Amino acid sequence: MTSLKRPHASTTPTTTLSSKTYLRTLKSGKVQKIVRELYLRQDIPCSSQLCSACLDLQPSGFHKKTAPFVLSPTPAGTKNYPQGHYLVPDTNAFLSAMDLFESEGVFQDVVVLQTVLEEVKNRSLPLYNRLIALTKNDGKRFYVFFNDFRLETFVQREAGETINDRNDRAVRQSCIWYAEHLQQAVSARKSARCPAVVMLSDDRDCLRKAKAEGVTCSTLEDYVFALPDADRLLDMVASSKENRVTKEGKAQLLYPDYLSMSAMLTGVKSGTLHQGNFNVSPYNYLEGTVHVPAFDRSLIIQGRENSNRAVSGDIVVVEVLPKDQWKAPSSKVIEEEDVGKNENPENEDGAAEGIVTEQERRALQEEVKRVHGRSTEGQAQPTAKVVGIIKRNWRQYVGHIDKDSVRSRAKESRAQQTVFLVPMDKKVPKIRVRTRQAASLLGQRVLVTIDSWDRESRYPVGHFIRSLGELETKGAETEALLLEWDVQYRPFPKTVLDCLPAEGHGWKVPASTDDPGWQGRRDLRDLLVCSIDPPGCVDIDDALHAKKLPNGNFEVGVHIADVSHFVKPGNAMDKEASLRGTTVYLVDKRIDMLPSLLGTDLCSLKPYVERYAFSVIWEVDSNADIVSSSFTKSVIRSREAFAYEAAQLRIDDQSQQDDLTQGMRHLMMLSKKLRAKRMAAGALNLASPEVRVETESETSDPVDVKTKQLLDTNQLVEEFMLLANISVAAKNYEAFPQVALLRRHAAPPKTNFEELSNQLKTKKGMELKTDSSRALADSLDACQDPANPFFNTLVRILATRCMMSAEYFCSGTQSYPEFRHYGLASEIYTHFTSPIRRYADLEAHRQLAAAIDYEPLDASLQSKSKLEGVCKNINVRHRNAQMAGRASVEYYVGQALKGRVLEEEGFVMRIFSNGFVVFVPRFGIEGLIRLREMSGEEGREPESVFNAEEYWLQIQGKEVERKVELFQKIKVRISDEAEEGTGKRKIRLQLV
Amino acid sequence: MPLDSSIYTLSGLRLDGRRWNELRRLHAQMGTQAAADGSAYVEMGNTKIICTVDGPQEQRRTGMRDQGNEAKIEVELGLAGFSGVDRKRRARNDKRVQELQHTIATTFATTLFTHLYPHSTISIHLHVLSQDGSILAAALNAATLALIDAGIPMSDYIAACTVGSTAGMSEKEEESDPVLDVNGLEENELPFLTVGSTGDGDRVNCLVMETKCQVARLEGMLSVGLDGCRQIRGILDGVVRAHGRKLLQGKVS
Ligand SMILES: [Zn+2]
Repeated sequence: MTSLKRPHASTTPTTTLSSKTYLRTLKSGKVQKIVRELYLRQDIPCSSQLCSACLDLQPSGFHKKTAPFVLSPTPAGTKNYPQGHYLVPDTNAFLSAMDLFESEGVFQDVVVLQTVLEEVKNRSLPLYNRLIALTKNDGKRFYVFFNDFRLETFVQREAGETINDRNDRAVRQSCIWYAEHLQQAVSARKSARCPAVVMLSDDRDCLRKAKAEGVTCSTLEDYVFALPDADRLLDMVASSKENRVTKEGKAQLLYPDYLSMSAMLTGVKSGTLHQGNFNVSPYNYLEGTVHVPAFDRSLIIQGRENSNRAVSGDIVVVEVLPKDQWKAPSSKVIEEEDVGKNENPENEDGAAEGIVTEQERRALQEEVKRVHGRSTEGQAQPTAKVVGIIKRNWRQYVGHIDKDSVRSRAKESRAQQTVFLVPMDKKVPKIRVRTRQAASLLGQRVLVTIDSWDRESRYPVGHFIRSLGELETKGAETEALLLEWDVQYRPFPKTVLDCLPAEGHGWKVPASTDDPGWQGRRDLRDLLVCSIDPPGCVDIDDALHAKKLPNGNFEVGVHIADVSHFVKPGNAMDKEASLRGTTVYLVDKRIDMLPSLLGTDLCSLKPYVERYAFSVIWEVDSNADIVSSSFTKSVIRSREAFAYEAAQLRIDDQSQQDDLTQGMRHLMMLSKKLRAKRMAAGALNLASPEVRVETESETSDPVDVKTKQLLDTNQLVEEFMLLANISVAAKNYEAFPQVALLRRHAAPPKTNFEELSNQLKTKKGMELKTDSSRALADSLDACQDPANPFFNTLVRILATRCMMSAEYFCSGTQSYPEFRHYGLASEIYTHFTSPIRRYADLEAHRQLAAAIDYEPLDASLQSKSKLEGVCKNINVRHRNAQMAGRASVEYYVGQALKGRVLEEEGFVMRIFSNGFVVFVPRFGIEGLIRLREMSGEEGREPESVFNAEEYWLQIQGKEVERKVELFQKIKVRISDEAEEGTGKRKIRLQLV
Repeated sequence: MPLDSSIYTLSGLRLDGRRWNELRRLHAQMGTQAAADGSAYVEMGNTKIICTVDGPQEQRRTGMRDQGNEAKIEVELGLAGFSGVDRKRRARNDKRVQELQHTIATTFATTLFTHLYPHSTISIHLHVLSQDGSILAAALNAATLALIDAGIPMSDYIAACTVGSTAGMSEKEEESDPVLDVNGLEENELPFLTVGSTGDGDRVNCLVMETKCQVARLEGMLSVGLDGCRQIRGILDGVVRAHGRKLLQGKVS
């Protein structure tokens, strides 16, 4: 076709055409050749406030808006660049030191080149997102310069040039252009001070070329060194490989190499390799499991060599070992703290011991011996080794420095040393960190991140981000658990607060029913509505009413806070809420999903004031069967806000005969029928240990721990919320079969229950039927021990742990039978009733509003892929919020027990060959008692016999001689002790 | 992973470096196939289409329902196997292709003086050599030129282009920009419409939108689209005039 091609006048005279050709490999392994046009232009501004030429040139968008110029006319100077400077970091600078760029007060006026941004995105999506967030942060003054679209800075890849070299050249070219351009701008202004344009790079070759081309440049380290507070800042730089290798020259390779990505993909495709999520056992840090579709049971990965640098949470590819190497899952507790106590972090090559330390080998070997001793047929499970990593899921880890790994403790010592950081999360290995501030970080909660884990290093290598404060202080521990569970806890930014109604707390439901706010709303202010919540609840999501109809049926209404009226899709507040996903409840504080003006006031269905609501109203007959249901936006006025107890008292008090109380009695009566029907359908009554920490109201210091009490009124509210959720789910699904946001709970695979049902059979002669939720519910009911009323709850707690977790999903991604909520025994389910504290509910509100033609459905809710993204996020947030809540309770229980010694009843819930796990219902705590702690002498295990088939452990020590069995009721002494190595407080259980 | 169209919010630049109101390079030629009654070749960016026109000629299949006193417009559109990113053959009766053919036929029925040729057929053959978005718009433009080349009387040029909307990319809904002449990548990511107009952009002859988009954004998109049509019309007009001049010179010399 070349004959047809001729030079031509461009349609837009300011651009020049170029093109970009590249190859792309798809997931399927297919290679595509992509040709893209590239229009090069000269109207891309430098964005320096020094420059007026670019300002005149800058075109405006469709809405006649132009972007303000970002870079300061008087950027800060340093020792080396007294005239002020703009930074142009290369890709590696961002990859290795994002934490540094994010720190306040330094690294301002930064030019992020498009080339660099693109490379960062290729290398790490999370870092890319953080970089984008930086460019939106006004104070940091980060400007993205689209160098590949500007004629003068565009660089064509030359024949034989690698992409890396081309990109480095592009960075240098942009630096040259910037420097010249600024010079011109400055001379046009006739001012003397021209900021330097400093390229940051650690690539020696690139630096050399830059110097030759006259580009001002510096290594990251040299640059930071010239800044005040350099020590703290330097710690935040990821240790680059170059730095580490220099010392030994040639390091010994400890771990086997990973397979290449294509080899892994081919292997997975052909079925010789398997891909899955790597999970480390909480009791044995040397044992991990990977669940892969090809095997019913999870594959076991035992030992450091087999797990080959995988960290819990990574997506790995594994190879199954030959059958004669299969092992039984470990029956022993192994903790890193005990085994790897005396290692020297500076000792990098590990030549003396190799990859597996002597202690570790012994710990595992004993394991093997024991397994051999018994008849192991049928015990061994498929065992595998990691051959490659598809995706690292490294995050930031909170932990403390291992005291024994610090060489010089002198505070003023500035010597750089390598120390071990022990993460809070026991599943994560120690992290080796280089620092100059080791002494001052001792005894602190610190935040670190893993940079790499190379073959020659036994432990992963990371760097410090910051200190959270002293160990065990409330502030530091709370922040630690929020970080550990990735809870966004910073105050809402101004952009979010700007979305709130201007009237603030003075906002009212408009008095005139002609107001647009009333459009499409039913006036339900005359209904006798009340709310029933936990005591002290300020974010009241839901309220209820019931009245008897003339035909003998009942009208029942569930009224939910109309949050979607205030939070419009896509605005800053909505985005923030969708990121947070849920409100997180800690013992002493609440981290809101929405600003508290909405959550605790304008949306909250407070008593005695008018509020917008979204109402679900049913007519039900006296059997609690639904005759009809309707959905409407409404205005209500709650008559009273009850706590569960107060509501219970009111219902029970026969002297109260007013209409409101009568309504509550109707609700109570109907809820019991609903519950009975649900149970008959096979809903599960599961249990998780729930305790409440009572705190002193002012200082929020824990005073006491109580187990939560369940009243009938709890169940009353729960039943109607379930009913509303089910009704709304059906309605939304009917209206939007492809994009309804629903919640499902998959039936657990049978293998999940194997262990538990085996335990019940051997220990108690009971049978656990797991064919259906109904059968499971019945057999759980039958698990009774007359001598031990708590036994049933214990079994339920254990059964809960065998369940799958419920998840949000988009209806178009599953077939209808998969919608089923196993635990609730409902075909379809969603979350609708707590929009103040859950984002899923807010989305369901929007869909329901569209389903009843109240307003059109926002585009974001029509796209399956977007909704899937939302679901994915809120599933994670939901789980994290639960974990953070639990961790908070745990911390406070620990604080409440501080300095006390108590004897309590406990139950053995798991047995290992060298210890057992005890659950103490009174405090909802679960603790490990190790054999080692039971002998009189420190560190020596008493003689013992362990029977894994019959779940007992016979201890034959000098002082103690007894047998511990699974499910056994025992007495334990609870005390707290400060751990020696760390000064960390820990609850300790002892067998009495 | 190359950057995606979310960079628009950072820079006001699209993936190929254009701004919101810029067309891609449009290159057109007439009379490229001597054997056909009329022919044209159009490139809009990397979308490349050859169009040949045959007719008006006597209707071949008699016995079929005769449209009586008007010429019948037949459109045949072929996507070359190598035109997309993946090499694949589309069946002739592919639903999507049939729909495109139908749209093109009905669009030209509004401008061609079909009543001058009763009992006859005008057939338009379109060959897509390379696809990079805006196929329908490019096909309409190519057909316009080929029909002019064939000398078939018509009331006006049909000039067509596409408009996307950056909705969902920007912070606020109101701030979404319409973007003119979407390429293949943008077509996959953004809601877009194809508009074909005659006159000075005051008559819409064709408007196709297959993606979801909020009504509020439509007006902005349409006005930008019509503006684009006006620009394209200018370019096509230039091509026709240059071609005419050449023909005349050819006659004279
Ligand atoms: Zn400038």
